[in-house]
Amino acid sequence: MKTYIKGIALIIGFSFASCEDVIDVDVPTGQIRLVIEASLDWEKGTLGNNQTIKLSTSTPYFETEVIPVVTGASVKVVDMDTNQEYVFIDQNDGRYTISNFVPIIGNTYNLEVIYDNETFTATETLIAVPDFNSITQSTEGGFDDELLEVNVYFDDPADEDNYYLFSFYEPGDLFANVDNFSDEFLNGNEIYNFFEKEDDDDNDQAAFQPGDTVEISFYGISEQFYNFSSIIIEQYYGGGDPFSSTAAEARGNCINETNSDNYAYGYFRVTEVVKASYTFQ
Amino acid sequence: MKYLILGFCLLCSSLIQAQEKYSVRGTIKDFSNGETLLGATVFLKGTSNGAVTNEYGFFSLTAPKGSYTLIISYIGYESISQDIELNADQTLNFELKESATSLNEVVIVADEPEQVSIKKPQMSVSKLNAGTIKQMPAVLGEVDVIKSIQMLPGVTNNGEGSSGFNVRGGAVDQNLVLLDEAIIYNTSHFFGFFSVFNADAIKDIKLYKGDIPAKFGGRVSSVLDVRQKDGNNKDFNINGGIGLISSRLAVEGPIVKEKGSFLIAGRTSYAHFIMKGIDELKDDKISFYDLNLKTNYEINKNNRVYLSGYFGRDVFNISKILKNNYGNATANLRWNHIFNDKLFSNLSLIYSKYDYQIVLDFIELDWISDIKNYNIKYDFKYYLSDKVKLDFGVSGISYNLNPGEVRPTSDSSPVNYLKLDEKRAFEGGLYVSAEHQITDKLTAQYGLRYSAFSRLGGQNMTNYINNQPVVYNSQLGIYERGEEASETYFGKSESIQNYDGFEPRLGLSYQLNEVSSIKASFTKSTQYLHLLSNTSSVTPLDVWTPSGKYIKPQRSTQYAIGYYKNFKDNTYALELETYYKTIDNRIDYIDGSDLIGNNNIETEILNGEARAYGLEVLLRKNKGKFTGWLAYTLSKSEQRTLGGQAGGPGINKGNWYNTPYDRTHDISLTGIYKLNDKWSLSSNLVFQTGRPVTYPNGQYNYEGFSVATYSSRNEDRLAAYHRLDVSATYTPNNKPDNRWKGEWVFGIYNLYNRQNAASVTFTQNDQTGLNEATRLSIFGLIPSVTYNFKF
Repeated sequence: MKTYIKGIALIIGFSFASCEDVIDVDVPTGQIRLVIEASLDWEKGTLGNNQTIKLSTSTPYFETEVIPVVTGASVKVVDMDTNQEYVFIDQNDGRYTISNFVPIIGNTYNLEVIYDNETFTATETLIAVPDFNSITQSTEGGFDDELLEVNVYFDDPADEDNYYLFSFYEPGDLFANVDNFSDEFLNGNEIYNFFEKEDDDDNDQAAFQPGDTVEISFYGISEQFYNFSSIIIEQYYGGGDPFSSTAAEARGNCINETNSDNYAYGYFRVTEVVKASYTFQ
Repeated sequence: MKYLILGFCLLCSSLIQAQEKYSVRGTIKDFSNGETLLGATVFLKGTSNGAVTNEYGFFSLTAPKGSYTLIISYIGYESISQDIELNADQTLNFELKESATSLNEVVIVADEPEQVSIKKPQMSVSKLNAGTIKQMPAVLGEVDVIKSIQMLPGVTNNGEGSSGFNVRGGAVDQNLVLLDEAIIYNTSHFFGFFSVFNADAIKDIKLYKGDIPAKFGGRVSSVLDVRQKDGNNKDFNINGGIGLISSRLAVEGPIVKEKGSFLIAGRTSYAHFIMKGIDELKDDKISFYDLNLKTNYEINKNNRVYLSGYFGRDVFNISKILKNNYGNATANLRWNHIFNDKLFSNLSLIYSKYDYQIVLDFIELDWISDIKNYNIKYDFKYYLSDKVKLDFGVSGISYNLNPGEVRPTSDSSPVNYLKLDEKRAFEGGLYVSAEHQITDKLTAQYGLRYSAFSRLGGQNMTNYINNQPVVYNSQLGIYERGEEASETYFGKSESIQNYDGFEPRLGLSYQLNEVSSIKASFTKSTQYLHLLSNTSSVTPLDVWTPSGKYIKPQRSTQYAIGYYKNFKDNTYALELETYYKTIDNRIDYIDGSDLIGNNNIETEILNGEARAYGLEVLLRKNKGKFTGWLAYTLSKSEQRTLGGQAGGPGINKGNWYNTPYDRTHDISLTGIYKLNDKWSLSSNLVFQTGRPVTYPNGQYNYEGFSVATYSSRNEDRLAAYHRLDVSATYTPNNKPDNRWKGEWVFGIYNLYNRQNAASVTFTQNDQTGLNEATRLSIFGLIPSVTYNFKF
């Protein structure tokens, strides 16, 4: 919501006399670090037993080689409320998997990754997500009156601070569109979010047409993950523009217990997610 | 206190030599329209005794009884010389005629004409008059005060499309911008593309980059003092211009001939008129407009009243998506009163307001924020003797800040009504300052300003655990919001926090010979208001916040020394200045800070410090067919924020880092060449080191995206910024008896079409998935044409 208030300034400011081009830039090279992508997402209506944690390392910014995966680490998650221990199995391709994970709303989980004789830990709580009240399509909502958008509606629980993450993905695209928001201005109300694609000649992206499908994922997230993902999202979609904040590293919740300077990138999250697919009429 | 004692001793020493003395006082005006002239010189030929007119054209001069020749001069005007017999106090008013060549005379003067500017202790000041500003090439032909001062040494901004300006490595909010004494909180239209000052309504501007006179306070970097025209008191006059973006019209004339006059000036962009005719755009609106008003009336020779006002607005409506508008409004009622030949006074009642509104139709949200202040000022100038002039006065400003109010725009809106706490504050000031000619060669300007600030109640204040609004998380190495412990309510009559500041101002001038001098100054200043902005460029949305329990006032100390020389019969002038400035309690923002709609700003910020130093060179050519100036600045501007109460090393690991407005080199060349009576040509050439930015130092894959990693703030730089602008002014043969006078101004901005980066963004190409750097450049080559008229 706040991103809109701020983002609009940029849209108006630069719409009338500007020009964009891709240039070559020399960028500095920082330290290579372990990356922990530990997203334990429990899809509503499933058991949530199958979970994957991915380990890799960072690379120079313009590196185009395949992502260097990390194997040989030991990965486990402990449910702090039940003391149940879940050991993830190394698949030797950077993925560590488990098939008997038991997600419980509100429980606190602890991640431990041991790699290269250093121990990384993180703690998160499983956050619930509301159901969709409805999913509709329209043209008059959104930014452009002539283009189709999908709208999702849900009830925000009152009396608590809630944070949400949305992902809209049209099969065939390389990337999903991700945004997050809090209920700060919206607490206790029926909230809607929408997604609209624009026609863009530069990259042959096309607006939604009848028959197109969009896959929607809707996560309940913690305040800490909201803060982390806000930095990443702002930088990903507009990092460096004059109206963006000074770029800063998004520090996740993984702590290196052995050597705190050698911290890891990434995040350990435990969320509930609602997934839906919508086909435009 | 010690400054006061020192000042008193110096004063006394000058009063000892008593002798029979008389005063001449009066007002100096422009012959053609009765506008008072600011900074005109009056001096007694053959003596070092002189005076300069103040903001209201008033002067007073005291000398021993005798016969003298009085010389009255003002650059661009023909001098008057008049013999006087000084055997009684007398009032003499003068009217100067514009010199025939004035149109091509560049009036950028260190301060006043030669005899005085070398001698006056005032340094670090630049003056531009509206005539000069109008002759400089401007983007899209829109004459722009804020852009023109960026051609001076020590003044920059964050490039096209950024609001405000930076002085000597200071932030935008550290400039006190005054339009007829009223504070202007946002100087820009269209997000910085144009400035709010309509050149047709402006008499002149003065920019103090340091050595700020004691009568000004409240900002730590500079004062931009913009004065509106009083209006022609002899004749009705209409001035106007038609440009590509906007058109202007100014009407002025006498109310009562030679007693009172008025000026009404308006300017509006007109893209929205065209948009109305286009079916697809008829519900959209993009426009800005200004309205300037001034009127004055001379009640009698000792009393004069002025009323001035400004109202400006930007409007952006994009149908069914958003409505956005913002602007400044000011009003000032002044009373000039001359008590006697030596004591001049001015009482001002001033109001100013800035507000910002955005309505987002697609989420049915209406956002409003504003800042307003009422200001009362009483200033005195006392011409104590021929050696000593005193300025003293008091002021009080009452602030009311509404940092944000959110409303749903319909019953079905998901938005809840929310109003952030309104903030109230009072700022008082008291000053006394003397300009003292100690010997023939040594002149001093010494003064003291005392300011006091009270953050007033009428709101809840949050208390934090361990009194830490921001806490360092040592495990993750990041700063996080503190935990609220309780709230304390402060009643409207209570004050939440008080601050004050002693601000000594000292300037010295030593005249080496008739044409050269050295000057030195020392200035302390305190700033109680802060503009919250965590972006590289300030935006119209940014909200002001007062000092209080968690935010301390910014305090600056600046030292400067300079060398000044006029040569080749005052055709050329050289100014060399070097400065060192420190600022305490500069607000800095923690990583991921969230300033919008936040009632607890203290959880997003830490109090840091800043320092800046530099060398400025200004070489001017004042006379001849070719006039202009070359400015060069070598400088450094850095900031550092330690963890302090929050713990931890601080922002950017507690290291000094470049401010976004650090420019190592800054070269500006402005030239105006008068080819013949019909044509005059002008150009600007600018070269600047690129803006400091933070580039990624790596990437990692997360949730299918390439996420950039960063280390130190502002360690990289955009490519150097440079461009050349040219313009030509064509004045057709105007019949002398024809009242209608017109001129055409043809311009080309960025002649060689340099793609200057306003920003470089790092993104992942959504077709290839590869990371790429995208440069955004705002203005390429832009031609323009403007027609100006007068009748």
